Amino acid sequence: MSLLAAEALTYVYPGGVPALDAIDLEIARGRRLAVLGPNGAGKTTLLLHLNGTLRPTTGRILLEGAAVDWSRAGLSAWRRRVGLVLQDADDQLFAPTVFEDVSFGPLNLGLGEAEAKARVEEALTALGIADLAGRATHMLSFGQKKRAAIAGAIAMRPEILLLDEPTAGLDARSARRLLATLEELEARGTTLVFTTHDVAMAHRFAHDAVLFADGRIVARGPASELLVDAEVMDRAGLDAVEG
Amino acid sequence: MTPIDRIAATNRWRDHSITEKALLGLGLLGLALTTPPWPTAVAVLAVATLAVTRGAGVPVRVWVKILAAPLGFVLTGAATLLIELGPHGIGFAADGLPRAAGLTLRATAAVSGLLTLTLTTPATDLVAGLRRWKVPAEIVEIALLTHRFLLLAGDTASAMHTAQTARLGHVDWRRRIRSTGLLAANLLPRTLDRARRLETGLAARGWNGASLAVLTPKRPVSPRRLAAIVATLAALAALGLADADGLLPMLGMLPA
Ligand SMILES: Nc1ncnc2c1ncn2[C@@H]1O[C@H](COP(=O)(O)OP(=O)(O)OP(=O)(O)O)[C@@H](O)[C@H]1O
Ligand SMILES: [Mg+2]
Repeated sequence: MSLLAAEALTYVYPGGVPALDAIDLEIARGRRLAVLGPNGAGKTTLLLHLNGTLRPTTGRILLEGAAVDWSRAGLSAWRRRVGLVLQDADDQLFAPTVFEDVSFGPLNLGLGEAEAKARVEEALTALGIADLAGRATHMLSFGQKKRAAIAGAIAMRPEILLLDEPTAGLDARSARRLLATLEELEARGTTLVFTTHDVAMAHRFAHDAVLFADGRIVARGPASELLVDAEVMDRAGLDAVEG
Repeated sequence: MTPIDRIAATNRWRDHSITEKALLGLGLLGLALTTPPWPTAVAVLAVATLAVTRGAGVPVRVWVKILAAPLGFVLTGAATLLIELGPHGIGFAADGLPRAAGLTLRATAAVSGLLTLTLTTPATDLVAGLRRWKVPAEIVEIALLTHRFLLLAGDTASAMHTAQTARLGHVDWRRRIRSTGLLAANLLPRTLDRARRLETGLAARGWNGASLAVLTPKRPVSPRRLAAIVATLAALAALGLADADGLLPMLGMLPA
C-alpha cells in the first residue's frame, strides 16, 4: 500500500485558474520521488495538497490507504507525518534567530525543552549551519535561509518530507551536502518527495519521477529511464539528460 | 526590516536579560515624564546616549539619526507654546521660550528612554517578555503578528522600490510619483499574499493558530548590571527631587 496517494485530484484556484487536472499519484515508502515540469505546471500546487494546505476541488488524498481527515485534529496529525519545505524560505522563517526558528516545529510536536533543543542542534549540524544558530533569520544569505528552513522541517523528523525546489539557488557544494543530508534523513525512515528544475540532479538522486505539464501527469517511471528519454521528456516541455 | 529592527537584532546588549533593559528603558522614560526637564531630562538623555552608544555599541551617528526622527513632531508641538492669543492679537508668549525648550527636552528624553529598550531588544523578545509578565495571550499574539506584518510590508515595499528603480521608475519626479502610486496600490495585496504564505509555512510545521512558541535562549539577569541600573535610576530620581526642592534654582533658569 502506498504511504500517501492522490486520487483523481483536481484543483482550481479561487478566481478560476485551473492548476491540477485529475492527478493520480502514489508515494511509496522509501522511494525518492522527483516531480518535474515547466514553470506553472502545478508542482507547488500538488505539494500543497499533500500536506493539507490546499483542499482538492474534487478528488481525494489518502494517507496509508485511508482518506485524510480535514478536521483540525486530523490536519494536525497529518502534518506531523508529512513535512513541507516551501519554495521561498522567507515564507517559513519568522523567529528572531535561526535556533529559535528551528525549535518551532519540535515544540509544536509537544517535545520537552531538552529534547527540542537536541533536535535543533542535530538539524543545524546536519545542514552545516550550527555556526549560524544565533544569527538573525532576516540577515542571512539566500542559501543560508534555505538551509535554515529545511532544518526547521527535518527537526520534526517527518515520515514524508515534501521539498519544493530544495536545491534551487544553492551553490554546487551546498546542494551536494543537502542531498547527502537528505539521504541520512531517509536512512532514518523519511520518504523524500521533491520538485526540481534540475533534471540531471533528479536523474542522479531520485528513484522515481513524474513529469507534469499543464496540471496533468504526462509520464511517470524510474528516474534513470524516464529522464533520459528525449521523446517523453519533450512531451513535458523538458530537455532530457544526456545519457 | 527597519533600522531599529536591524540594530535590535545585532547590538551588543542583544543577549542581556530583558528585565534589565526594560527596567532601564522604562525607568528612564518614567523619569523623563515625571521630573522637571532641567536638569533631569538632560541627564536622562545623557544616560540613554551612553547606554546605547557605549553600552550596546550603536554608532553615535545612527543613534542621533534615529533620535532626531520624531523631533519634527516634538518641535511642531513645542512651537505652539511660543505664541499665544492675547488682547492684542497673536503675540509671543511671555514664558514661551523656556516652556517650549522644557517640552522639547522632556519629550526627547522620554523618546531616548523608550529607544534604549527598543534598540537593544528585538520585538519578538519584547513580545516574549509580555507573555512572561502575564499580559493576555490574545494581545501578545496580535502584537507579534502586527509587528511581523509591518516587517513584511516594509520588506515588500523596499523590494518593489528596488525593482522599480532598476527599471528607471524613479529617474524624474513625474515617474517617481507614478511609481510611488503604483507601489502604494500594490502593497496591501502583496503583503497580504506574503502573510498568507507565511501562515502556510507555519502551519506546515504544526502551528494551529495558537501560541507561536520557540525555545528562547535563557538570559539570566546579571546582578552587577541590575545594581548599576538601579543605582543610575536612583541617582537621576534624586537629581529630580533635589531640583524640585529648589536646590538648583540657578541651573533651573538656564534654558531661558
Ligand atoms: N495563489 C494562486 N492563485 C491563483 N492561481 C495560482 C496561485 N498559485 C499558483 N497559481 C496558478 O496555478 C498554476 C500552477 O502553479 P504552481 O505554482 O503549482 O506551478 P509550479 O509547477 O510550482 O511552477 P514553478 O516551477 O514556477 O514553481 C499556474 O498557472 C499558476 O499561475
Ligand atoms: Mg513552484
